[in-house]
Amino acid sequence: MKLIYSHLQKFLPTLDVKPQQLRDDLTMIGHFTNYFEEIDNEIVFDLDIKVNRGDCLGYYGLAKDLSVFYQIPLVINTSAEIINQAKETLPIKITTNNVKRVLAVKFSQLNNGLSPPWLLKFTQCHQIKSINLLVDLTNYVMFMYGIPSHAFDVQKSTESLIWEMNPKYQEFISLDKTKLNIDKNILMINSPTKPLSLSFWGGHDCAIDNNTKEIILEMAVYNPAVVRQNSRQLKSVTEAGVRLEKQLDPELIPLAFNHLCKLILQNCQGQISSTFFDYYPEKVNQPLIEFNPQNPSLISGIEIPTEFAIDCLARLGCLVSSNMLITPPSIRPDITMAADLAEEVVRFWGYQKIPTNQPLEYKKVSDITPKEIHLINSLKDKLTDLGYDEILSWPLVAEPSNSATVVTTQNSINTESIYLRQSIIPSLKKQLSLYQKYKLYSPQFFEIGKVFFKEGDTYTEKNSLGIYHPSSDQLKNDLQYLNLPILNKDSSFVEIIIDSLPKISDYQPKVVHQSAYELSSQLIILDANVVFDETQDPSQLIEKYSQIIGTKHLWEIIITDIYQDVNNHKYRYTFRVSYFNITDKLAKEIHLKAFNLI
Amino acid sequence: MDLNLENIKLEYLSKIETISTDDQHEQLRIEIFGRNGKINALFSEIKNIPPENKKQYGADLNQLKTELEEKIKSKNIQKADKLTTDKLTSSVFGLPKIGHLHPITQTERQLNDVFLKLGFSIYTGPEIVTDEYNFKRLNVPINHPARDMQDSIYIKEPEVLLRTQTSTIESYLLQSHSRQLPIRVAFPGSVFRNEKVNRSNHFVFHQYQAVVVDKGITMKDLLGTMDLMFKTLYGSDVVVRYRCKYYPEVEPGVGPDMQCFSCHGSGCPICKYAGWIEMGGAGMIHPKVLEMAGIDPKKWSGFAFGMGLDRWTMAQKNIKDIRTLLGGNLAYKPNEK
Repeated sequence: MKLIYSHLQKFLPTLDVKPQQLRDDLTMIGHFTNYFEEIDNEIVFDLDIKVNRGDCLGYYGLAKDLSVFYQIPLVINTSAEIINQAKETLPIKITTNNVKRVLAVKFSQLNNGLSPPWLLKFTQCHQIKSINLLVDLTNYVMFMYGIPSHAFDVQKSTESLIWEMNPKYQEFISLDKTKLNIDKNILMINSPTKPLSLSFWGGHDCAIDNNTKEIILEMAVYNPAVVRQNSRQLKSVTEAGVRLEKQLDPELIPLAFNHLCKLILQNCQGQISSTFFDYYPEKVNQPLIEFNPQNPSLISGIEIPTEFAIDCLARLGCLVSSNMLITPPSIRPDITMAADLAEEVVRFWGYQKIPTNQPLEYKKVSDITPKEIHLINSLKDKLTDLGYDEILSWPLVAEPSNSATVVTTQNSINTESIYLRQSIIPSLKKQLSLYQKYKLYSPQFFEIGKVFFKEGDTYTEKNSLGIYHPSSDQLKNDLQYLNLPILNKDSSFVEIIIDSLPKISDYQPKVVHQSAYELSSQLIILDANVVFDETQDPSQLIEKYSQIIGTKHLWEIIITDIYQDVNNHKYRYTFRVSYFNITDKLAKEIHLKAFNLI
Repeated sequence: MDLNLENIKLEYLSKIETISTDDQHEQLRIEIFGRNGKINALFSEIKNIPPENKKQYGADLNQLKTELEEKIKSKNIQKADKLTTDKLTSSVFGLPKIGHLHPITQTERQLNDVFLKLGFSIYTGPEIVTDEYNFKRLNVPINHPARDMQDSIYIKEPEVLLRTQTSTIESYLLQSHSRQLPIRVAFPGSVFRNEKVNRSNHFVFHQYQAVVVDKGITMKDLLGTMDLMFKTLYGSDVVVRYRCKYYPEVEPGVGPDMQCFSCHGSGCPICKYAGWIEMGGAGMIHPKVLEMAGIDPKKWSGFAFGMGLDRWTMAQKNIKDIRTLLGGNLAYKPNEK
């Protein structure tokens, strides 16, 4: 969400901190602020609002938090009642209990048109398109208070509005002319004859334009679960929907609606031509929470004065009784229990005041490490000791090994990988193929991972070990050394279900810091012959040329042949050098230089 | 007999590449093309192939034979260019082959080491889980907006899914050990989200979580223990801040951020100009989560924290593409520790 500093100051006129400080403070009290930037002489912050804080999807909610944090007053200038002498009542029907509150009124003789510069700048800073003055004002109030509103063009629709679950319509055309297929689960606002609006998205048929003279303006709060479900079902996300799917405060509607009405009268002239319609069948009952003022200290582990705790809750708008029964404000439906109150106190006291240099000390408690973890760690260490490299691969695969027992995912968006693997061998083969593509021709590697099966409605998963060695004989020897069963004598691949092996009761695994590389291209393999007068120690030769070439692009050096020229008493050593993540040309340059072949 | 010709091809191409002496060359040539060699054995299997597949099998087998012949022949040409000299040895000399643990395993073990020294057990849990353990027992009921934070891969919607977080293991753990308190447990594990796989995102990634339930556990214990972990991993100069953050399964919730290693807090593209890098999530275990596990929150308290391992591991090993970590082009120098 975007937050313009100067508009925040409308609620907090005495707020005077540097933008960087405000960014950091907002973040520390739970409103993660990515950055701030200057747009057209305005400082604009970019925030991530927590999913449980629908109130902070408006400036008002954030201002309330900041007024507690900075201990400065929250100022509301729009609370004065509008004098309304209209007599006409609005013919509105509400037939679903998914509507929590609706406030509506009719305006006539309006002059709609372009928005003034301040409003254009506001929409620009919020990265929304300016539509026209009336629409921009409804958006402005939505951002300021976090509660969406909607205006219906009376001439295009009807004076009669019905809030209902979709009774019969199959199609709805949204403001941007998107055609949506709808069913009976959709909460709508309709005329008696046609669909007008979804709860979270206005309709094209009653859209406000520059010629609009008469509107019905409404502001409503719904059952958030229904809005959320509707939005997901129709795959449509709107600014209004993002707010209405959170628990919003019906008690805030009069304040926000009053402000919007005043702005319309000020900017579009016209007049109010109906009585206010206020549907509020069930007032929200705020919980009564028993609060121990010591709780924030007990939870945080540091001393937080009880006076601070009580004062903090009072400034948040909680009613604090003398026997410590707390009623949170209606704008904070996320506060329902003592732990919620304690969190409020701790976050305003400041997490940064909690020391970070006192970790838990060692304590002997029951060791509940499952034995298979010891076995897996032990196998990994033994296999790496034998020169095997560990790989990890995708547990979702394209082909089942056995379609009768395969576990299939229902909604994987990676359509080429929808089955949970039943064997590790295909993963090893895929890895071998990749290694060969990169010209790594003699790898030996293993993977330990889960394999999955389904029998009826029962799902099972087992730990499995897969090993590959290019020589089946060597693999057999290694399996013997590891006391593992030899299942297929002639294969370079083997798979063993670990869960069937004897467990070990304890094992201390090695902590290692080994290198690994992301290959970007095939290895480049170049040979070189070097002639010496005497025989050489091959290991020392490899060390020597490794140092000359350097580690940046050197993968491996081996000596493939050693020949004696009997007639000339010379010894010729043939080197095979593999280079990685390097071009052909550069590899050759390095190679020729290293072996003096230029 | 394995009749998967593609696998057989891969196996023998690999073997051909590893030969370095004339003896090995001849031995392998006989193994593949000799009277009792692999190719003849595969041809003799034609009689067992279903009639509708015989033609394709024969064609594929001929193709395999040709490819392997060419490959071994080209190997032969390389070896034929000899001087009129005496060969001193038929061995290939190289430094010893060193085995490597996967970088994710290395990271997990580094973290395990920190927690083992504090008396933690290492734990694990199922990857196919139920909605109850993945969400409800973590204080995320149906239709809760927090469900949008994690896009699930379902096995049987809406009840059976692949775990989306290691906190799911916490649900199982708390329930199964509610009568064996106190507990100190850490668990690495892979988790699944319904993400398209690309350079930056994967449907499977790795998390690490630690859980403590005991009497009198506080946020001071949590922050101190996390700081110890970060200092162990990143060095004593690391700067970490702990801010308020929302997770339904904890309260108060904590978000640890590490000061950006690149810009040291001034803002740069790596930290998206925030100056800080998010390092995971933590908090005091929510009283409702304890209650649902049968643990009395008035007697016991606890903390939990989790962090992703992939990006940190990638940064350590200079890996740019997350796909590399899982069966991609990750490789190890044969002789480098």
